[in-house]
Order: sequence, then C-alpha cells, then structure tokens
Amino acid sequence: MCRLRFVKLTGPLERVLRVLTTDPSARHYGYDLMKAAKLPSGTLYPMLARLEQDGLVEAEWEAPRPDAGGRPPRKYYRLTAEGARVARLELAQAAADGRRTAPGAARPAHGSTQ
Amino acid sequence: MTAMSPVQRIAEGLIRVSSGRLPDEQRAERCREWSAELPAILADETIHPKLMRSVRALSYSAGIAATAGQLGRAARSPGRAAAAGWRDGAVSRGPGNLAVRATIGLACWLVIVFTTVSLIRAFPHPHGWPVGLGLGLAAGFVVWCLADIVRAPAVRYLPKWVWALICVIQIPLGGIIYLSIGRVSRRHWMRPGSAQSP
Repeated sequence: MCRLRFVKLTGPLERVLRVLTTDPSARHYGYDLMKAAKLPSGTLYPMLARLEQDGLVEAEWEAPRPDAGGRPPRKYYRLTAEGARVARLELAQAAADGRRTAPGAARPAHGSTQ
Repeated sequence: MTAMSPVQRIAEGLIRVSSGRLPDEQRAERCREWSAELPAILADETIHPKLMRSVRALSYSAGIAATAGQLGRAARSPGRAAAAGWRDGAVSRGPGNLAVRATIGLACWLVIVFTTVSLIRAFPHPHGWPVGLGLGLAAGFVVWCLADIVRAPAVRYLPKWVWALICVIQIPLGGIIYLSIGRVSRRHWMRPGSAQSP
C-alpha cells in the first residue's frame, strides 16, 4: 500500500492514531479526542478532516436522544477497517523507529549475529 | 432547552463566523458539529476552576477558526489539497537521538552565554533613541518567534518549550538560532514527505 512510506510518524498524528486504535470500534466525538490525545482543536480537526477524506476515519451523527437534555447531537468519529489496519502498521513502524534511534540501543535485528 | 451562558453564545458566534470561510456545502454541517462540542467543554468536570472552562471553550473556538481557514483554503485550491495527504502536519522532527539533541541544546546554551557576556561588556551604558528602537524591534521579533513556535505543528530537535525559552533568553540570537535550526518550514509540513517507491 503506497500510503505506508516516507516521513516519520510524529507527535499529533501518532497520538490521535493511538487513541483511536485503543479500541478501534469505539466512537469518539471531537472534544473527547482532544482530551484523550491532548491536542488543541486547531490541530485535531484538520487532521480528522484529512483522515476522513482518505477513508481512514468515518464520521456519523448521533441520533437525537430525548434524554440528552437539550444537548445538540454530536458527530462521532471512528476508524474504518482500512484505517485500523493502516494505523496499526504506522504505530508499529513508529515504535520500531523509536527503538532504533534510542540512545545506546544497537539495532536488535532478528537473526543478526551482532 | 437550557439557557445559554454568555460564553457559549460568544463561542458559538465565533464558530459561526469562522464557518463562513468554508465552502457552502460544508458550512452548515461543520458549524453544527463544532457547536455541539461546546456544552461538553463548558460542563467538563475535570477542568478546575470553573472559569478555565470558559477559557477552554474560547480557545477551542479560536482553534476552530484556524481549522475553518485551513479547510477553506484546501477547498479553494484543490490542486494543492490533492497533493497533500492525510499525513499533513506529520513532520520529521530530525534525529530522535538523545545525544544529538543534548549536543544541540548545549551548543545553543554556550552560544547564548558567550554572546550575552560579550554584549554586556561591549555596551556598558546603553542610552538614547536607538536603544528604544532596538528594544521595540527585538520585542516584536521575539513575539513573532514565539507565535511561530506555538503555531507550528512540530519543531526540530528540542521540545517547543525549550525553543521558546531560547528565544526569550537571548534576544535576538535565540530567535535566530530557532529559525535556522529548530523551525520546520511551512512548505515542508503542508506536503507529505518525499515519496519513495514502496
């Protein structure tokens, strides 16, 4: 898959993917994600929009509930199947990169005799 | 319907105005989505004291304004938007190696101490209007650097707060060091990385 290449996964995106992959079937609304990923709205929403545009995240409107106490319906986000797959690969890749660049850690390659 | 607090009304107003920057077909839905988060923020029990909830709601709206600007721009120039992928904002922060970071941090610190000492020795009694002008320019430069650090999605080598500190401690050299080493150019983070064949 050509998405899985180039730039290192970094801060904001990595945090969002981490939250979303904790339970891939869970639905999150924006403020919930902001708190969990500790990101400001100005970072989170553009990212969500792009993830949605590329089909990695899907959004749905909450059905109006009588017990919501006049609260307006929210929009919920969740990983798509493709999104969950890509996110897991990306996070694994990021973890591997982190290990490789960690101080004093020689690269523990499988089967290497180092 | 519960009565809206003034803060919520202001925040909603901000969101409505910002949504005006979006293309017509997205405007109403985005506006509804973003406004729907406000009650959750204003009722967030984990934020203390209560006043901070209002601050949070307003800063949330400010972030929405930035978001709407970005989405609006992307919609107006589809060529650029198509070139940009979901990794937008994902930036290589440079080597993650602790030794590299520590060396850069130490080098910045040494340069700052050295220049500060030399400057103090060279100009023992500053006075007159050039000093005032210099101070004004320096203050503007520092504020600009700090704003850049805050707005950037990522900076290189050192954490954001360290760069901010560097900019403030040695004016203007700290800012110059940040701009030349720590800053990731806009063009870089608006684009996905250089593609390698998979």
